[in-house]
Formats: sequence, structure tokens, C-alpha cells
Amino acid sequence: MTLLHRILSVTRRLIRPNRAERELDDELQGFIDVSVTDKMRDGIPAAEARRLALLELGGVEQAKERVRTYQYGAWLDEAGRDAKYAWRMFARQPGFTAVVVLTLTLGIGANTAVFSLIDALMLRWLPVRSPHELVQLSISSDENDASVSLSYPIVGALAAQGEIFAGVTGFNTATFDVGTPGAVAKVPGALVTGAYYETLDLDPVIGRLLTPADDRPGAPLVAVLSYGYWVRQFARRPDIVGQSILLNGVVVDIVGVSPRGFVGAEVGAIADVTVPVAALPRLDPPMKALLGPGNFWLRVLARPRTGLSAADAEARFATAWPRISEPVIPAHWPASRRKELADASFRFSPGGTGWTFLRERYATPLFVLMGVAALVMLIACANVASLLLARASARRREIGVRLAIGAGRGRVVRQLMIESTLLSSTGALLGLGFAWLSGRVLVGMISTGPIPVEFDLTPNWHMLGFTTAVAVATAVAFGVAPALYATADGPAPALRVDTRTTASRSRLLPSLVSAQVALSLVLLVGAGLFSRTLHNLQTFDSGFTAADVLVVDLPSPRAAAPQELVEAIQGIPGVVSASVSTHTPLSGSTWSDPVVPAGQPIPDRDTALFVGVGPGFFETMRIPLLSGRSFTIQDSAHSPGIAVVNERFAQRFFPKQNPIGQRLSASVMGQKRDLTIVGLARNVNATSFRVAPPSTVYVAHAQLPGEPGAILEIRAGGPTGPVASAVRERLRSKLPSAPIEVRLLSAQVDATMVQERMMATLSAAFGLLALVLACIGLYGLLAYGVARRVKEMGIRLALGAQRRRVTALVLWSAARLVLVGIAVGLPVAWTASRWIESLLFNLNPRDPAAAAFAVVALAATALLAAYLPARRAARVDPLVALRHE
Amino acid sequence: MEKLDVPQGTLDLMILTILTREPMHGYGIAQKLAALSHDSFQVNPGSLFPSLYRLEQDGKLKAEWRPTENNRKAKYYRLTAAGKKQLEQHRERWDRIAFAITSVLEGA
Repeated sequence: MTLLHRILSVTRRLIRPNRAERELDDELQGFIDVSVTDKMRDGIPAAEARRLALLELGGVEQAKERVRTYQYGAWLDEAGRDAKYAWRMFARQPGFTAVVVLTLTLGIGANTAVFSLIDALMLRWLPVRSPHELVQLSISSDENDASVSLSYPIVGALAAQGEIFAGVTGFNTATFDVGTPGAVAKVPGALVTGAYYETLDLDPVIGRLLTPADDRPGAPLVAVLSYGYWVRQFARRPDIVGQSILLNGVVVDIVGVSPRGFVGAEVGAIADVTVPVAALPRLDPPMKALLGPGNFWLRVLARPRTGLSAADAEARFATAWPRISEPVIPAHWPASRRKELADASFRFSPGGTGWTFLRERYATPLFVLMGVAALVMLIACANVASLLLARASARRREIGVRLAIGAGRGRVVRQLMIESTLLSSTGALLGLGFAWLSGRVLVGMISTGPIPVEFDLTPNWHMLGFTTAVAVATAVAFGVAPALYATADGPAPALRVDTRTTASRSRLLPSLVSAQVALSLVLLVGAGLFSRTLHNLQTFDSGFTAADVLVVDLPSPRAAAPQELVEAIQGIPGVVSASVSTHTPLSGSTWSDPVVPAGQPIPDRDTALFVGVGPGFFETMRIPLLSGRSFTIQDSAHSPGIAVVNERFAQRFFPKQNPIGQRLSASVMGQKRDLTIVGLARNVNATSFRVAPPSTVYVAHAQLPGEPGAILEIRAGGPTGPVASAVRERLRSKLPSAPIEVRLLSAQVDATMVQERMMATLSAAFGLLALVLACIGLYGLLAYGVARRVKEMGIRLALGAQRRRVTALVLWSAARLVLVGIAVGLPVAWTASRWIESLLFNLNPRDPAAAAFAVVALAATALLAAYLPARRAARVDPLVALRHE
Repeated sequence: MEKLDVPQGTLDLMILTILTREPMHGYGIAQKLAALSHDSFQVNPGSLFPSLYRLEQDGKLKAEWRPTENNRKAKYYRLTAAGKKQLEQHRERWDRIAFAITSVLEGA
């Protein structure tokens, strides 16, 4: 009953707030009237009776306020009124409001964008049933080293352990050429083992999904399409099931469409076409070796049987492995490697968020960025707090009046808190939009890497929750201090004192500005370090020259010999030189084999990197040949085996000897070969800038067995664009059925710097943002201070102070704040820079140049921000200032 | 005689008691309270009205606008059934408190 009453009463008041107010007015008026009548009846004159009655009442507004606060629902009611009042205040100060909202939008938006990426990359569950049950398997032969890749036979052996697993699946990404010759499109896809969809427990939208029966040698070729691909390419046609498509020129039947939202178990890669691993030998014959026991390339997710925890399953499998390992260990491996694999242990880690190589590569950079974004948020908060603080000081008179006419301190504090909440939630809302846009830019940056990356960044509850939390925390962080400060003195001083003559006594404002300076210094030092890292990478001498070189991956099988294509291309105008090789530097793909000086036994382990190259390779790549000769047309399959080695190889195997003429024993692509060294080449950073150039043996492409991989390199003499299209034309006529893609080698090199470029760009953007915010803060404080001290400045000038000295006075007060900020910020930056050491390249984390750059940039910008208010102070007209009141 | 502050939590009890006889408006309640307490309690509208509004919201009182004896309109409060029940409970509690305090004071 009582509760119902309350609800009704509150509802009534919310629906018709004015009526409740009017009734209260009427009632109090009635009270006074009756009281006056009463007193007049006692013989008191009307005027005196009225005065006494009002005195008894103790203030109409105070009485009303107390009634309001005692009512249920009053809080909501008043919050609504406060919000309306706040909007009116904001509308009257559009400049202030715009700066605050923009600051918060950028701060909250930056945080949300980085968070959304962290969420997509690391936190989000796969859209499958009970993702938390999934475990990811990795294999390790010693404590420090675990590999997430397993062989196809091992995955089969795992899947056979029905008493441990409800399902086990291995998968990897692949790209398929879909369509008929002439209209071929490259479509991202996945190769999966048979139990893929059963392990993930997904149901088809139409048709059926893959089953273990599809993953047997000789099974009919079938594929499952993603929902998005079905919508885009087939307009949701239900009759697509049973139809066939051409994958790599082979007819494959479509059996079904996977559920909406599921695009594969590898995060950040979209698999539009999924086929069983067993189809690989027919779809891509040169890759059929991947099905053998010696190739570890499948990421493995498993679902332990109901009731078994990951640890239980791991323990059970550990006992099962020695029993089942024998058949899946490559028989041709040397005994030591066979034993290593037999003794290896399997680790089961949580797998519900899927797998991605991006996680390893970007976890640290993203966490650093999150920290940077959080610092920017702190600066934004400090900035907004100081703006509100300055505004609160300017509003002391208004607040004093409100306190004097009966508003409780809590009431005024609440009004101010509601204002800050409104500001922060507006900022949060706009920030979400900003995050949505900037998140796309972030993904775009990562996606310039060798593998395209796609993320669904549509705001989800993670993101909304995060943004709300940030907004609330922000409102509290920047709202509380100004609110308490503004109401601390009560009504009296605000009404008495002329607020324009006194200097601000608050220490809070200056320390907020110094804090902002310190934080931006930290960010600027970081930005300097990351920019210098990128610069160091870009100017790093990697041993070859990528500029102006085009590369073309040749298909396999191919209708023409690579050397024949090279000769065809050499005739194109603008081509300086051209060559063929099995690998190009920094492509992410390498080949290694065992090789030793002749006479020693060939070891089990690979000892050097191998590259098969044709004539003109060193010229085209501009890899200097230090002595001897390079490969020529005469080095054919029928001539003696020759090799060119790099300095590292020569130093390792022939220290202090002339390597030219030395003989090598090697196992090249599984065949025993004797090689004679004919040349010595300079070292090349073939795998990474961060890894020392590996020992490398160049062998003649024409002397390699079978049909080895072939990439054409073409050095252009002028603009690469026309040369690229001419090359494409020429190759199309020679290889009519294959898609020809001409790439820039420099793009391939740039792709290895994606992370560094992202960090340099974003840290610079954040640093700039921080700098601007700190300067707005400084400017605001000084401008406000000058406005308050107009009278003082006027008196100084009237007493004969030089304008220059007044300017210097203001500039000096700014310089003091900046110096304090720098003094605090530098040690912090130096300490913090150790955490990002692993992300730097050829750079001391305490790089003095980065620190100097940060200090100079900050000091210069701060001076600029301080100059405007300083000039204004000097231009004060003493007469106007003194007449100010 | 010096005015006393209304002890914490007793204003509701006194308002409910005063309203058992007849419906009254705010000023009337204040006057009656002063008269019954021999002018010891002078309750300020800033305290009276919040109590009245809260009792009304809780359904202990019902208010209606009626003309006064001087032919002005005033808001008259009257006790509801729930109000009567609350009064009984509070009255009983107050009697026990008063008895307990008196016993302590006299026993000491």
C-alpha cells in the first residue's frame, strides 16, 4: 500500500511537476495569510503582522526547498531541473562547452578506439556454442618454447581420442582463386580438418557443414561458404546448395552456408570459402606435402568431453601421447628429432577467443597504446577540471546567491556534478562515433601488413560498458574538485568580495596545469622515441635496395619457364634489369636446409638459409657482390652445382679463408648436392630488421629439383606505374590462365614496419593531442588569471610599470608552471620508456634527442599559448581597469 | 517561556494526534501544537510542511482544498485508516519510551 502510494505520488509529480509546485506555493501563501489575519485580530497593524508572519515562516524559498528535498522522487525531479538549467548554461557559453565536449570526445574516443581493438583482438569470444569450453593446443619440447602449429596426422591422432575430446580440429587460412579463367577473384578461405564445425558446434544456415567424412583422401570435393559471401555473391539464393564453383580451376560442390557472424576460428581473418584439408592435394598440388607428418602448420582447437577441465584433458592426453605418437612422427626424421617429438608435451590453454598471430604481435603495442590513451584521458580530465574550476570561480557570485537563498551545499554540488555528467556523457556519445571511425583507421594500419585483417568493430556491450565507465569516472574525476571548491566558502565571501581584484589563491589550478605539462611531456618523449624508431628502420641499410623494384609471384604449374619470362620482360622499355628467385627478402617466407663444408657429414638440422636465384638477381636487388661471380645463363641443370654465399656464412664456415672455390655438401630440397662456392655477397637482412642477417647460401634457380617457387624481380629505371602495367600485359600473354599481380618490393618491406609505423603515427597523434590540450589548459589558466587581475595590472601600469615587465610577469608565471611540469615529467618519461624498450629499434630508451625534442616542442608551444594572455595583460588601459567597478 | 525544539521523530506523532479530532490546515496544526504544548513547541513551516508532505505521500494523511472560516482556500489534512494505524503504533511506542525514561529518572 505504502509503496504503491509512493510510486503514484512520484509519478504524479513527475508527470505534472508544475502543479505540485503551484500547490506548495498556494499552501504557503495560505499559511502566511491566515497567520497575518490571526495577528491582526490580536491588534497588530497589518504591515507589522505581515513582517512577523514572514519572520516566523523563516523564508518562503527555504521552506519550499525543504519540502522539496523531503519528498520522495524529489531527487529525480530536481535532477531533471538541474539538467535543464545546465543546458541553459551551456547554451549561453557555447565556446566553453565546445572546448570541453571536444576535449572529452577526443579523450574518450581515443580510449574507446584502442579498447575496441583490444576487445576484438583479445577479449571477444568466438561466436560458437560454449566458447569458454574450447582449449587451444600447443606443443613444446622444452620449457621456453611452445609452438601453436601441429601436423595434419597429429590432429588426426588427437581427434581419435574420443574419451578425452568431444571434438578436435586443426585449421589454417588459405587464399583461393575462385571463378573461370579470365574472371578469377582471389577469395580468402580456410583449410580445416573434418571435425571443425562439430568441434565448434555450429549449425548451418542452409545445407550442411563439413563432417569428418569430407576430410578423407578421395572424398568428393566440397566447400562451405560464409554467410557474408553467400549474401554478397549469391544474393542468399537457397538453391546454391548442390551447385559447384571453380576453386583454383577445380570443380568443388557447395554443400552449405555457415551461420551469420561466424567467419572462421582465426581472429582478424575472414574465411569466405572453407574446404577440408584432404582437398588440398587436388586444389593445390604443390602443397600436398602439407598433409605429411613433417609439416606443422595447423592451429588446433579442441573441446574436452563434458565434465573434463582443460587441466584434466591435458593430463589424460599426456598419458595417451606416448601410446599414439609412433605413427604420426615422420619416419624419415633423424632419431634425435624423432625422440624430441615423442617426448614433447602438449599444453592446453583457453581457446574460446580463437587464435590469431596478431595477438602475439600487437598485444604489447596495443597495451602501450591503451596506456598512452589513458594518459591522454588524464590530461583531458585535468584540462576539463581546470576549465570547470576557472568557470566555478567566475560563478562564485551566482553560487553564493544560490546558497544564500536557501540551496543546500549538497544541492549546489549536485547541480555542478550534473553539469559535469552531462558534459562527459555528451563527450562519451560523440566519442563512440569518433572511436568507430578511428578504430577503422587503426585496423587499416594493421591491415597494411602481409595479411589483410578484418575486424567487426560495431559497438558491442563491452565497448559501451567501457565507454560508460570511462565517462562516469571522468565526470567524477573532473567534477568533484571544482564542485567542492566552488561551494567551500559558503555564501558570504562570494557576495562581499569583488572577485575581480584578488589573485587566485587556489593551488589546485596551477598544479593541474603542471600535471598536464608533465603528462604531455611523457607522451611527447614516447612519440619522439617511436618516430625515431621508424626513422631508424626506414634508413636502416638492410643490404639490398627495395626502391623501384617490382615483384610478381609466378603461379604453379606454369606454362613458361621463369627464365624465359625474365628474358621477355627485359625487353620492356624502362626495365633496368630483371631476375627470378625462390624467395625475396622480408617476405615472411624463407627456406632453410642443412649445408656444411665438403667432407663433413651433413647434419640433421638446417644450417643456413637458402635462396634459389637466376642470373641478374644481385644486380636487380642491388646486393653488392664482394668477390667472385654471380649466376649466369650457363649455370643450368646439367652444369656443376655452384653457390654464392654471404659474408656471415663465409665467416662461420671458412673463417679467415677465401671462400671462393671452397666446396660444400648440402641437402637441397631433400636431395644430396655438392656445391662449389663461386661468389661472396654482402649480408642481407632477409628475415627481419631486428634479426641479424642469417648465414645464406644462394643456389642457381635452374639447378633446383622439380618446379620450385618462382618470383620475378624487375628493377624499373623510371616511374614504376607504366613499367608495372607493361609487365602485366607481357605476362598475361605468356601465362593466360593465371591472375597476375605486380607488387612493389618496397611495399613488402614497409609491411614489416606496420607495427612501428602504427606506433609512430599514433603516438605522434596522441602526443600532439596532449600538447594541444595542455596548452589550452595553460592558456585558459593564464587568460582567466589576467582577467581576474585586470585591476592589479592597471595599478601596476598606472604606477609606472613598463608594459614589457607586465608581459614578462605573466610569461614568468607560465614558465614556472611549465618548468615544474618538465621537472616532474622528465624522470617519469625516463622511467616509463623502459617499458617500451622492446618496441624500439637501434635506440636507447633514454635517447637524449627524443627528450630534447619533447622539451623544446613543449616549451615553444607553451610560450605561444602564454603569449596571448601576456600581451593582453600589457595592453590593459590603466584608466579602464581602475574604473572597472 | 523559552521555546523548545521538537524532539527528533515526535513531530509526526503529534501531527497525527492533532488530526484525530478533525481535519486541519497547516497553520491550524501549528497553532494547535503551540496551544497544546503551552507555547513550548513553536513549529516552523520549514519543518512542518516537509512532515505533512511525507505523511501524505505515504498515505497516512489525505489532503483536500477547502474554504477556511475566512473564506480563503486552504489545504486541509485528515487522517486515513493507515494513518490511524500508524498513530496507534507510534503512540504505544511513545508510551513505552516515556515510561522507560521516567522509570530511569526516578529510579536513579
